[in-house]
This record gives sequence, C-alpha cells and structure tokens, in this order.
Amino acid sequence: MRPYLRLGVRNITQSKGRTAVTLLLSAFSTAVLIFSTAFMDGQHRVMLKNAVETYPGYIQITHENFRDNPGYENLIENSDTLVQRLQNDPRIGSISQRFETYVLLSTKEHSVGAMIAGIQPQKEQTNSILAKSLHRGKYLQKGDGNAIYLGSELAKNLQVKVGDTLAYIGNGVDYSFCADNVVVKGIFQTGLFQFDASSAFVSKEYFDHMFVSDNLATHIVIYPADIDTANELAQKIKPQLPPALHVQSWKEFMHTLVQAMELDSIFGYITLAIFFIVIFFVILIYTLLNIFARTREIGVLRAIGTGKKQIMGMLLFESTVLSFAGVLAGGAIGAALAYYFNLNPIELGAEFEKQFKQYGLVSSALPTTFEPLTILRDMGIMFVLCMASTLYPIVKINAMNPVEAMHHV
Amino acid sequence: MSKFITLSNVSKIFNPGTPLEVDALQDIDLVLDRGEFVVLSGPSGSGKTTLLNLMGGLDRASGGTIRIDGKEITALHEDALCDERRDNIGFIFQAYNLIPVFSAKENIEYVMKLQGRDQPSCDRRVTEVAKKLGIEKLLHKLPSNLSGGQQQRVAVARAVASKPKLILADEPTANLDSVSAGELMDMMEKLNREENITIIFSSHDPMVIGKAKRSVVLKDGKVIKNETVS
Repeated sequence: MRPYLRLGVRNITQSKGRTAVTLLLSAFSTAVLIFSTAFMDGQHRVMLKNAVETYPGYIQITHENFRDNPGYENLIENSDTLVQRLQNDPRIGSISQRFETYVLLSTKEHSVGAMIAGIQPQKEQTNSILAKSLHRGKYLQKGDGNAIYLGSELAKNLQVKVGDTLAYIGNGVDYSFCADNVVVKGIFQTGLFQFDASSAFVSKEYFDHMFVSDNLATHIVIYPADIDTANELAQKIKPQLPPALHVQSWKEFMHTLVQAMELDSIFGYITLAIFFIVIFFVILIYTLLNIFARTREIGVLRAIGTGKKQIMGMLLFESTVLSFAGVLAGGAIGAALAYYFNLNPIELGAEFEKQFKQYGLVSSALPTTFEPLTILRDMGIMFVLCMASTLYPIVKINAMNPVEAMHHV
Repeated sequence: MSKFITLSNVSKIFNPGTPLEVDALQDIDLVLDRGEFVVLSGPSGSGKTTLLNLMGGLDRASGGTIRIDGKEITALHEDALCDERRDNIGFIFQAYNLIPVFSAKENIEYVMKLQGRDQPSCDRRVTEVAKKLGIEKLLHKLPSNLSGGQQQRVAVARAVASKPKLILADEPTANLDSVSAGELMDMMEKLNREENITIIFSSHDPMVIGKAKRSVVLKDGKVIKNETVS
C-alpha cells in the first residue's frame, strides 16, 4: 500500500474520536434522510390509497363521451362480455362493473337527491373501501334484493337508520319510470363528506332488474395486480377495447389529486433540500475544523516530500472510507426503520383517527414505504454530499505552501 | 570539495506592498561545499529559519537564485520542488514533527517508501540508521511514547534514512536538555562524516554552534560573517 494511503488508514483507525464523530454524523444524516423520504412517500401512498380506493378505483373504463355527457346514451354495452374477456389478464387484480344514476330518495318527511349505484358487492370489496367503511349494519351481498347501503351523511339527512325503509324514484335506461321501497341494510362512512352525503348503493342484480340495465354499465373499474403500474396497464388495455370506449388511470381522471400530490412533493423536497443544506454545512464545518486541526501535520508531510496530489489522495481516501462506512451504516439503520414502519405503521390513536376521517383519511396509521432503489438513491445522495463537503477544506489546505501550513495555528 | 550550494542575491520579503512588509533576507550571497557541517547563527529575527526554508524549497525567494548540486531550485515548479525535497533534502525540525499515528520505524521509512523503495530495502536501512543513532529498541513505539530526545533522534533518522545530499535542521536542539543536545550534535557530526551528507543547522546555543565546521552569522537579514571554524 502506498505510504500516504497507509497513513490515511492509520489516521482513521487511531484517531478514534474523530472517526466516531464523522461516522455518526454521516450515518445519522443518512438514516434521517432515508426515513424522511420513506415517510413522505408513505404518506403519498396513503393519500393515494385513500383518494383512489375510497370509490373511484385505479383504472376506469367508460364510454368515450360519458365524462362530458353522463347520460344513458353513453353507456358501456355488452359490459359482461368485456369484463369476462379482461378478467383473464394476469395484470388485472380485480374488475367490477358499476351503473351510476341519480334518484330522489324519500322518507315520509324528507327527500334528498342522490347518486345510486348498482355495484357487484364482492368485487367492490377489492376495488374500493366501501365494505371497509361500514359504520352501522351490514355491507351488501350478491343477490341482495331491495337492500340499500347509504352514506352516513345521507342517512343523517334522511333521518333513517339501519332497518328503516325508504323509497326512491328515478328513470330506467329505457326512460321508463322506476321506483321501489328499499330497506337500509348498512350505513358507511368514508370521511369524504360530499361522498357520504350523496351516495347510495344497491346490488347490481337488483339495479339491473329495476333500471333495465342488464349487460350495461356506466363504469368498469379495474384494480391492477400492481397498483404502481396503473398507468401502463391502462395503456395496454386500450387496444383491447371497442372504439367507443375510453380507459383512464387515476392519474388522468383524478388530475387534481395528482397536482395536490405533486405540490405536496415539492414542499417535501424543499424541506429535504433545507435538510441537505444544513447537513452539508454541518459536515463541511466539521471537516473544515478537522482538516485545519491537521494543517501543521500536513505541512510537515509536504515538507518531507509528500506531493500535493498525494496529500489530496490521502485526505480523499479517508473521506471516502468514512463517508462510505457512515452512509452504509446510516443506510442500514434508515432501511431498517423504513422496513419496520412499513410493516408496523405509526399509529396516532383513536382520537386522531376521528379527526383524520373528517379530512377524508380512512386511517390514522402513518406507514413508510420500503423501496430498496429509493434507499440506494438516498444513500448515493448522502455519499456525494459527504464527499462534496470535504472538497473545499482539502483544496484550501493544499493551496498552502509547507511553511504556511507548518506555522498554521 | 566542490560548490554544492550557491545562493546569489537571494532576498525574501514577507507581506510585500502592505504595511506589514518585512525584508527578512537581503541580497544573500553564499557558497557552501559538499559535505560541510554548517551552523547558521544570529539573533532572533535575523533570518536563519527563512534562509533554511528557502534552501530547502519550503518557501519561495522574492529574488535571486539558489542552486543545489547544480540544480536551480528557485526555478522549479511546485511538483518538481516536492520531488527534490523527497529525494535530496532531509529536514529536522525544532518540534520534531513526527507523524503521530506512525511508529518510529514507520516514521523513519516513510520518505523511503515515498521514493518507491521496497520493504526489505527499507528494513535494512532503518536497522542501519537506528543502530547508528542508538534507537533500535524504540522502533515499534509511537512518538507519544518517546521522550523529546528520543523523538529528535527518530526525526534525525527519518531525515538521513533516505540518503539525502543535504540535511537542513532548524534549531534541532532547542527543545532538548544540554546532555541530549550534545549527544544529538555528536550523532549529526558522525552522520556528516560517515555518510558525507551536507548538514546545515541553525542555533543560538554556543555549545551547539561550537560543533560546526563552518559558521555563518546573520543579522537583520544579511550575512555578517562566514568563516570556517578550525
């Protein structure tokens, strides 16, 4: 080993205090960065799951004109056949049909206009959190007849409870008059006020019978086997659809959510950038003090014939070894924390859960993500940061001549 | 004897063009032969250390030329000057300046390793030099476990081990008691004699000055006396 590198090794192994502080500093910073990123990404995922899985779903197929003109002339025809064909695709985790329309719901004293949707109860258990949002009574089942599943705010407005009967009036697909009495089977509460105040669900079999919508749907909702690939899957499904149908992933039909998440990410990254800057200067100052404390020693090395490049090589070697070891240790700690809180999300408790529901969040649990590539990226960033912060002191000290360096106090 | 070191019109100005400007050396002309044992003496601030630094290529002269063994070191680029120090000049400092994380042996062989010498050759030379300086039993010790006198012997060993043509010693005995200082000077004299190394050292101490074979006296940055001592 070259003598100046050997000296570098010896500096690391014998200057235990300096080595320990440097390692701790870079390890702590790396662990904090990895955990912060995992936590921020975790919150985005929760936000996404809450927003998308509450009801809209990750991928929606509709008639191409349905979004602009959601009337009966823009329905998905032969929806059963289409669903049967698509559900064999292994990239699709679950697929279900919905038929949404608007009715007047009435009790003896109250009437409220609301959306009523015919759904496939079992399939919706995967595609949305309707079943999980059960507040009172029971969730729908396949074959349920005139049983209705009401949003909590809607039930409050109608002043009904589980077991009560109410009537609805609407139009069938053939524009015939459509009315019936239904019994409140269950009441759900997603926390999304508007949704809970205007939505009601019945089984699609019953709905088709009443609204003459057999083999017709307003939406086909797909839950991908891998939710991260929703966009790509939507593009791959497109060619398999009849020309009149349109497929969109949540990123398209919920673009306001995407914008909100991007905005949140920007603030998150600004916070992380501030963190980076603070860490950069902490390491820079510490390295500066450390290296300047060795100015005399470096002056002597220069005097006895160690070249500038060799001094730089020695200091960079020390810095590389310490940064690498610190980042590796911090990476392991950060990854372990991210993994643990991914499996065991931070629970804020029942009191917070109530408040969270008011803001449309289903759970007060705050999980982290555990993504090895992101962790490696963060470790890479911290390594570069640690190395960059040592460059200035190294260059600065190397610019001195041996006499200046030896007389440096 | 041949001209080994030639200084022509050498000057050094610190902080030129500022209120703190100091003429540390003025128009120094000096010729020293190979194998000489020279003392630079003079009061504090007379320019002894500055002159040693310029001869060792540790600092740049403000004017004039310095030739060592025919090579004009004042014209050398930084990297070449560093190679010159590594290959041809040994330094002994007042504060020893050993590498604290290296043992005595590693300190002694450091410059030889920089020169690219292999381990067996380094080992042989370290043993040889250590024997001459009486530090064979100290080789495995860290500088922090050595006395001042022992550290200075190790520093001398480091300076001579790589077989330089010139050794520059800035007040090498200043931190030593009189017995250690005397022993150190005897050793340096022996090395000068046996290895034919030109040794130039600075000192205030009359006992140390008395060991030299040539005395150069400086005052206010000028050579006021340059004589061979019988």
